[in-house]
Formats: sequence, C-alpha cells, structure tokens
Amino acid sequence: MVKVCLYFQVHQPERLAGYNVFRRDGKYFDDERNKKIFLKVAKKCYLPTNKLILKLINETKNAFKVSYSLTGIFIDQALKYCPEVIESFKELVKTGCVDLLSETYYHSLAFLMDEREFREQVNLHRTRIKSLFNYEPLVFRNTEAMYNNELARMAEQLGFKGVVAEGWHKYLEWRSPNYIYKPVKSNIRLLLRNYRLSDDIGFRFSLRDWSEFPLTADKYALWLSRVEGTNVNLFIDYETFGEHQWTETGIFEFLKYLPREVLRYPHLNFVRINELLSEEPVGVIDIPDLLSWADIDRDASAWLGNEMQHNAFNKLKELAGLVYSLGNAELIDSWRRLQTSDHFYYMCTKWFADGDVHKYFNAYENPYDAYINYMNILQDLKRLISNKLNARGTRKTTS
Amino acid sequence: MKVAMLGWEFPPFISGGLGTHCYELTKKLKKWCEILFFMPKPKGEFSAPHVQIIPVPGGFSGPYLKELEGMVSDGFFSRVKHYNENVIKTALKHSFDIIHCHDWMTITAGVKLKKLTGKPLVFTVHSTEWDRTAGHPWQFIADIERLGLNEADKIITVSNWMKKQLMDRYNVNASKIKVIYNAIDPSRFKAMVEKLGSKVVLFLGRLSIQKGADYFIHAAKKVLDVEPNITFLVGGKGPELKNLIKLTINLGISDKVKFLGYIPDEDLPKLYALADVYVMPSVAEPFGITALESIASGTPLIISKDAGVSEVLQHCLKVDFWDVNEIANKIIGVLEYTGLGEELSKHGLEECSKITWGEVAKKTHDLYSSLAVNT
Repeated sequence: MVKVCLYFQVHQPERLAGYNVFRRDGKYFDDERNKKIFLKVAKKCYLPTNKLILKLINETKNAFKVSYSLTGIFIDQALKYCPEVIESFKELVKTGCVDLLSETYYHSLAFLMDEREFREQVNLHRTRIKSLFNYEPLVFRNTEAMYNNELARMAEQLGFKGVVAEGWHKYLEWRSPNYIYKPVKSNIRLLLRNYRLSDDIGFRFSLRDWSEFPLTADKYALWLSRVEGTNVNLFIDYETFGEHQWTETGIFEFLKYLPREVLRYPHLNFVRINELLSEEPVGVIDIPDLLSWADIDRDASAWLGNEMQHNAFNKLKELAGLVYSLGNAELIDSWRRLQTSDHFYYMCTKWFADGDVHKYFNAYENPYDAYINYMNILQDLKRLISNKLNARGTRKTTS
Repeated sequence: MKVAMLGWEFPPFISGGLGTHCYELTKKLKKWCEILFFMPKPKGEFSAPHVQIIPVPGGFSGPYLKELEGMVSDGFFSRVKHYNENVIKTALKHSFDIIHCHDWMTITAGVKLKKLTGKPLVFTVHSTEWDRTAGHPWQFIADIERLGLNEADKIITVSNWMKKQLMDRYNVNASKIKVIYNAIDPSRFKAMVEKLGSKVVLFLGRLSIQKGADYFIHAAKKVLDVEPNITFLVGGKGPELKNLIKLTINLGISDKVKFLGYIPDEDLPKLYALADVYVMPSVAEPFGITALESIASGTPLIISKDAGVSEVLQHCLKVDFWDVNEIANKIIGVLEYTGLGEELSKHGLEECSKITWGEVAKKTHDLYSSLAVNT
C-alpha cells in the first residue's frame, strides 16, 4: 500500500499600511486592503475549494482525506472578514477525514529569533486550534517548512509526534522522500515533501510549455501508482486552487476527479497526516543547516538573504526585551504581527534568478520600498513602547 | 556604411549631454560605419580619432541652453540659421548613405539634404522645445521640430517618456519612433573623497522649473525637521537660483542648504562620491543621465517616476516629484536604515554596468541598416 497524504498550507499575510517616517498613529496594518484581498481569495479559493473537498469526502464515503495547516494570521483575518470560511473548515474537521497541523501563530521567523518566543507562538496557535476546532495537532510544520535538526528537537520537546520538511535531494542523496524517516537526535517522525509531484500541481499545472501539459487527474494518478515507497507526501499551498492556478486552468476539474482516479488503484489510499506517524522510520536524516521549501535555494535566503533583511530582523529582535518588560498585550501582538515572514520576503532582492514568483507576491513596487516602510513601522513601535515604559517609570517615581 | 551626422557640439567643445552623447555614440559606431561629423567651427583646433570632424563656418556659439537662458539673442538664432545653410553646402561635397541629425539646431539642414540627395534621414530628439521651456515654447522652434519630425524617416528618442511627448504634442506616429536609451562610461565615476562630518544629500542640474529643485528644498525642510544634522547640496546654476535661495531663507534652512554653482565636468565624480544620496525630482526629464552617473559612483538614487531614465532602472527609489513627504521619507530611509544604501548601491552598479554605449551604437546601427535596405 502507498499512502497518499495531501496537506494544504493555508496562509494569508497581513499587508502593512503605507507608513512614512512622519506618521505617528500606530495603525500599522492596511485593514481595508487586507479585507479586500481576503474576500477575493475567499471567493476564488477558500470557499469553493472547501466545498469541493467536503463533497469529495462525502462522495468517496470518507476514503478521500486531507490535512491543513491554518496560520493564526489567516484565522484572525477569516474571523474578522469572512467567518463563513472558518465555518466551512469546522465542517471539514468534523468529517474525521481531516487533520490539522501546528505552526507558529504568526507564520513567523520566531524559530530563528528566540526559543522562548517560538514556544510561545506555537502554544498560541495550539490554543486557538483547540478552541476553534476542538482539535490537537500531532504534526508540526514550521513557517515555510524551515527545518533543521534543532527544529526537530524543539518540536519533540513541545510534544509533537511528527515534523514536516522539504524532501530536498541535497540531504536525501540516494534516499527517497517516499518513506518515513527520523531526525538526528529525536524520536519523532520526519515527513518529507515529495517536491516533484507536489510542484507538478502547485507550479507546473498550467505551464503550457511543460511537456506534460495538460495535467489530468488520470495521468497524475498513474504517476502516483508508480511511486515506490510507503507514502507520497503532497504538500501544497492551498491557494493553488483558484488563485495561483485560476479556475480557467481546470484546476478544480483536476481536483474533482483526483480522488476517484487515485482510488482506482487498489494499492493507493488517501491518509490524514497523523496516519503517517504509525510507520516505522527506515532511516535517519541529518539536516544541520536550515532547509525550506522556497525558491531554488531551499534555504532562508528569501527572508534573510540581504543586509536589509538582516538589519530589519535584528532590529525586530532587539525590541523583544522592551516588549516583554512592558507586557502590553496590544503592543506584543503588534510586535508579533511584524514577525510574519512575508514582510521579509518583500525585501528580497534575489529577483533575477527566480524573480517572477517574488514579483507576483510582492505588495510593494520594490524591495527597497518594502524595507523603508517596515523600518518606519518598527521605529514607531519602538517609540510607542519606550513612551509607555517612560510614562510608567515617571508614575513610579512620583508616587 | 557612411553616415553624415549633423551635430552642434563635440568634446572638448561641449556644454552638456549632447556633445558627450555624440562622442560616445560615434566612438562605438566606428565598428560598423564611417562617420562624417558636421559641427559649427569651434574657436580652437581639435580632432577625434574615431570620427572625421568637418567644421562648418558659422562660428561656434557655445552651449545652446546657455544662449537660450535669460535674453535670447537674435545672434544665436541667426547663427543656427547660418550653420544650417553652410552644412548643406559642405555636406553636398561628400558622399554618404544616411543623414543623422541631433535636435532642432541641425534638422533644417537635414531635411534639405534629404530632399537634395534622397538619402534617409534619422532624427534623434534629446529634448523638445516644450521640455526646455516648461511648456512655453518658442513657436518657430517648435515648428522646426515639427518639420523635422514629419520629414525624418526614423526618429530616435532617449526614452518612452520622450516618445510619448512626440506622439502627444507633435502627433508623430508611434511606429516611426525607436527608443534608444542613453548610457554612460562608468570608468569616469570612481572618485574617492573624504566624507563630510554630516550626511550629504545632493541635487544636481540646471536650476530651472523642469528640474524640480524647489521640491528638493521643500523635502529638505521635512527631513531637517526630523534629522537636523544633514547637509543638502545644490549643484548647478540657472534662472531659478534666486527663488530657491529665497525659499531656503523662508523655510529657515539656509544654513543647511549650500548652493555650489556650476560644477565643472571633472568635479562631478567627486561630488557624487561625497553624497550619501542623490535626488532627482525632475518635473520633465527626457532621460536624466546624471542618474546613471550617480549609480556608477555607487551613490544611491531617488528619482522622479517621470524621468526617462527611470524606465531602465529597477534598483533605485522612485517618487512622484511633487510628493515632498515621500521624497523626505525616502531620504531619511537611505540615510538612517542600515543596509538600504548598500543594497541599492550594489545592485545599482550591477544594473548600470549593463547600460552601455556599445549597446546604444548597436541599436543605432541596426536602425541605419533597416533604412539602408529600404532605399
């Protein structure tokens, strides 16, 4: 038997307000724009895809199974702008055919910043998932699948049974991503993404000059049927459906026929991601350096690759002390929202190699504008926090 | 292929970009063509190795922009007229395959030569009467330009911005216009200087309405309100000088803004090197070669979205020239936020190194070839 594990990443960044150096109002997020974008994507992707997946689960009598990772930032916006999206996810979870993953609430780079902050954000996410869906995730997925041995160790300490990483050939060498492995020094399961088969759907689906174009469900099911191993992990951005690949490309038709085409093969079945945890590991994978699922480099250079990104990140990190000592919930939240990885992604200057992807997802005209805007906000947040701390100090001395 | 190129200035007898453009272009064109370069006879002797200079009696009158400034002397226009008449007589003694004119001072002769010889006419428009006069053109100059634009077989503009101007103001058909961007010789801009004690923000250009120096001063005020220890340098001279000085006094920043007057060519590299950021808030700018010079010097650039050069640059900061808040915001960003200047400089240099005169010459030659085939 080969287990087919579909996991979808569901995230929607919050766009920052255009904040020039003279602004002092502390309104760092462009709510109007965020609402507009969220509603657009809800209509094009979240709602129709959830509806279709629910239908497929019912039609296949629970043989079709999927998993999701919903970021806290996504959940917050969904509740604020389009609660029916959350309702439809609740319905999916209720089928019992859907697992949820855990991650940092803010889709942040906290793992690279500070262990305490990282744990805090994972717990915030856990609490949220528990209260909304009455669900406790067993598998952890770090922002943009950023992974190394150390991350696995932390995930284990936090009580997770499995962790997700890119099945990148540099670390796998001759080994296949289609088995379950074990990280170095941890006893949890390492679940590796099959990037070729995942990207066939995520990136190549509508590429007209791709030799396999057009990709149909029966062709794809045939490829899956030829997979050697115990499992095939297809980890895909949820916006693939209807947003990255528009309806016109036939992506929904593809999804609609996929379960029945896959289930034609008696040795293939769909699993929730937790069902992979029962497999015995076939080996140990040592990943000392940071691995991610982004770009051709598969490292952190899309977020922390140039001097601007490093400086912004360091300044953000430096605020930790002030933020904690003030303990103002609202300002802690603002500070954490500024940790979302996308803000750093927009400052990326690696345009020319894998440029168009970056350009498409950039909320700014160029990385330099993104940096100035981000730094203006960070500086203003620092000012607000310092003011409050000073006021507190003054109160204490006068009383 | 033999080209009769009709120019107005040529190094060392130059005032501005036109002479440099002709020098660099002909230097690289030599690979493909023989160039006869016609120009008003200068006061001194000179020669250029890569081009045959053919001085035309008429008297070198010097930079035409300077002449147009203040009182326009009838003398200048009559010298232009005289030059054009003499170019025709001189050129007819030579043989050539293509006629290539630069700007309105040479185009009357170009049109006439085309009629007399049947050779194709190329007209490079570096600026129009509309840009030079901030929308108050001398009608007879605009008429000369219109004649040239109508009669030329192909028109070269230095930007899409310029192309659009010609389409909108002179009703030129888009298919007749080929955009070939300017370039620079980056080797000139490697100066090392000792930095000042404070950060330096630079403006450079003629002090005329269309260069937007007043927006620079207003932005300076905004910056100084937040960061008082910054020096603003204004290089160049022009009709707006008096108003600009007055403006700095009214804004209370006259001690922070220094007017440097005209900057000789040889001092430019040092000035760029001295600056931490170069600001070009042009209202109207067919190209804007100083932007490339700044980048070649490794100095980060803030540039008007409307400048032609903005079409070829990605690694710079772009602003609406009227948005002084945003100009100030970006100046502060470059000066205050670690890494920004460095990244702009690094990627800017890389980008700039791809903008070469060799490329300009190649495209120009391709254009010549397409015309020569058609005749």
